[in-house]
Amino acid sequence: MKQDYIKFPLHLIFHPIDAFWDLKSDQRGRLTVAFGALALTIIMMILQKQYAGFLVNYIDPRTINSIGEIATVAVPFFLWCIANWAVTTLMEGEGKFRGIFLATGYSLIPIILIYIPMIIISRFMVQEETAFYYLFNSIAFFWFLLLLFIGTMTVHQYTVIKTILTMLLTVIVMGIIVFLGALVFSMLQQLYEFGYNIYRELIFRT
Amino acid sequence: MARTVKRWFVLLAAVSLLLVNAVPAAASPAPYESYNYNYWKEAVPAPDAYLPKRTISGSDLGIGEFKDPGDVNVSPSGQIYILDSGNSRIVVLNGEYKLLRVIEGFMMDGSKESFNTPSGLFVDEEDRVYIADTGNSRVVVLDAEGQLVHTITKPESDILSTNFQFQPLKLTVDRVGRVYVVAQGVYEGIMQFDEHGQFIGYVGTNKVERDYGEYIWRLFSTKAQRAQMVLFVPTEFSNVDIDAKGFVYATNIDPGSSEPIKRLNPSGEDVLKRFGYFEVKGDIRFRNNPGPSKLIDVKVLGNGMYSVLDATQNRVFTYDDEGHLLYVYGGKGNQVGTLKTPVAMEQSGNHQLVLDRGKSNLVVYEPTRFGTSVNEAVALHYQGEDTQAVHIWKEVLKLNANYDIAYIGIGKSLLMEKKNEEALGYFELGMDRKSYSVAFKRYRREMMKEHFGTFLTLAIALICMLILVRVAAKWRRRRQIDREAGLH
Repeated sequence: MKQDYIKFPLHLIFHPIDAFWDLKSDQRGRLTVAFGALALTIIMMILQKQYAGFLVNYIDPRTINSIGEIATVAVPFFLWCIANWAVTTLMEGEGKFRGIFLATGYSLIPIILIYIPMIIISRFMVQEETAFYYLFNSIAFFWFLLLLFIGTMTVHQYTVIKTILTMLLTVIVMGIIVFLGALVFSMLQQLYEFGYNIYRELIFRT
Repeated sequence: MARTVKRWFVLLAAVSLLLVNAVPAAASPAPYESYNYNYWKEAVPAPDAYLPKRTISGSDLGIGEFKDPGDVNVSPSGQIYILDSGNSRIVVLNGEYKLLRVIEGFMMDGSKESFNTPSGLFVDEEDRVYIADTGNSRVVVLDAEGQLVHTITKPESDILSTNFQFQPLKLTVDRVGRVYVVAQGVYEGIMQFDEHGQFIGYVGTNKVERDYGEYIWRLFSTKAQRAQMVLFVPTEFSNVDIDAKGFVYATNIDPGSSEPIKRLNPSGEDVLKRFGYFEVKGDIRFRNNPGPSKLIDVKVLGNGMYSVLDATQNRVFTYDDEGHLLYVYGGKGNQVGTLKTPVAMEQSGNHQLVLDRGKSNLVVYEPTRFGTSVNEAVALHYQGEDTQAVHIWKEVLKLNANYDIAYIGIGKSLLMEKKNEEALGYFELGMDRKSYSVAFKRYRREMMKEHFGTFLTLAIALICMLILVRVAAKWRRRRQIDREAGLH
């Protein structure tokens, strides 16, 4: 229990190359952990907006919206997984969807671990020290990117160049998915309008 | 039964109608909406700082209507000089807005001279009147009796081109008699003349705002195309004023500029303080109105405050010395207090005057309780009397609880009195992160000094406890092993 859910994720973020391999070949990844990491990341984002110190918190309190926060983290997360799966299927990637999902989820762990203390410490900072707050937030982000990179590389058994290429392609595909989604949505709306107009026409003409 | 109920309803409706009609009559005496920008750059309604009191037209004074009046200036002794450009005369009023005299012209070399579409004037401390006589390409200087002192004509200088036209528009004069002239078509800066009318040079130049899109476009154009494009030249100044320390305040009407107001030091550098949350440029957000403010006049009010007149929305914006927007009044319209084509603004005592060319009259604005309190508090703060300012800031907050500057003012005073913890709350309300940081640093140090001993004691106690627990556990385990080995 403790081994899989706490010790392994912590081991993973410090030894990503070994651990992602274990995650893939020894079936050590747990979907619960990936989902948990996603949920905690969302919670951290919300907490940061709400409770970060006054000197670093430039959020207009009237715009804080937890639903919006969930959407801004979860939607790109799933989009990434789907787009990455779509791209790597075509590019001879070894990873299954589960593997991609696990790798992405586990990569979020540094963000959670760094955000918790930074939210607390930021409340005791003065202006000169806020540089550390921003530094650590950037570290969290780049650590996440690094893990995502190594995760993608290991899961699909890619070379470095191919991984970078795949990640860029994934971002493009994410855009395409959003575009197609908007297109479908707009068309459905027009279809609905059309049907509704016919209905109205029939109702009022008889 | 039903009829009675109905009747009651009708009666109730009638009474409610009466009440509804009774309320709005006393809602707002101002014909415009006053507002201020909050930290998030939203225009939030604010109490009126100034209310229109009366208007003064030429027929009120019994001298015939003004025709295209161009400028107004209040002399240090309190007389109001109105430049009636269309009638080429200067109308002088006293502080009670009663007519004193009319200057129609002056004697020069034995012959009577008059003005030709003058557009600017200034009165200095010795009541000398400087008139920018645009149509005659000269600046006329008259003494207090209306006698000619000298004129400033087209300057001779190597840095001026031969076909240069000297058409002075607005001017101001410093304490030693140097004249600063804004002239038409001169984008090199403000022309500076010495007390004898000799051209000294230019001060303060507007920077050219680079438009990078245009710049790239230019790279791909042919020579013929480039010749047809607009030139990047700095914009001209629109008006000048001078403060008691000799700093020249100047406005320009560059639509894209974020620094349309400048405070020029003697070497021509811009030293205006811009410590507010947003740029010192009039309106900062335009939802229903056409673009940025076009600032056409600036007036130094004393105590670091200055007002600017915006010709886009016909409003007056007043700032304190640190660049915080204090209040806004005025607007477009035809009522008393709203403006048609404002051209100049001035301060006379505690009144503010705006000259309206469109309606050919002078509008007198009187400060309200809110406006007076803000002015007083800003003045006290400027003079360093922050403790005295606190009472007035509290008064201001009663009238407008959204007034950020008041919170900051109170916070600063508390900070001075070393009440750091209370100051924190005020700075947070005023969204002043810099001062908040200062207060928090002191508060944190205070707390540390106070509680460091307790903290250390607790920490040592905790460490001792941990060690004890560890030792106990170890001892137990050893006992266990010993027991299993049958030693007990």
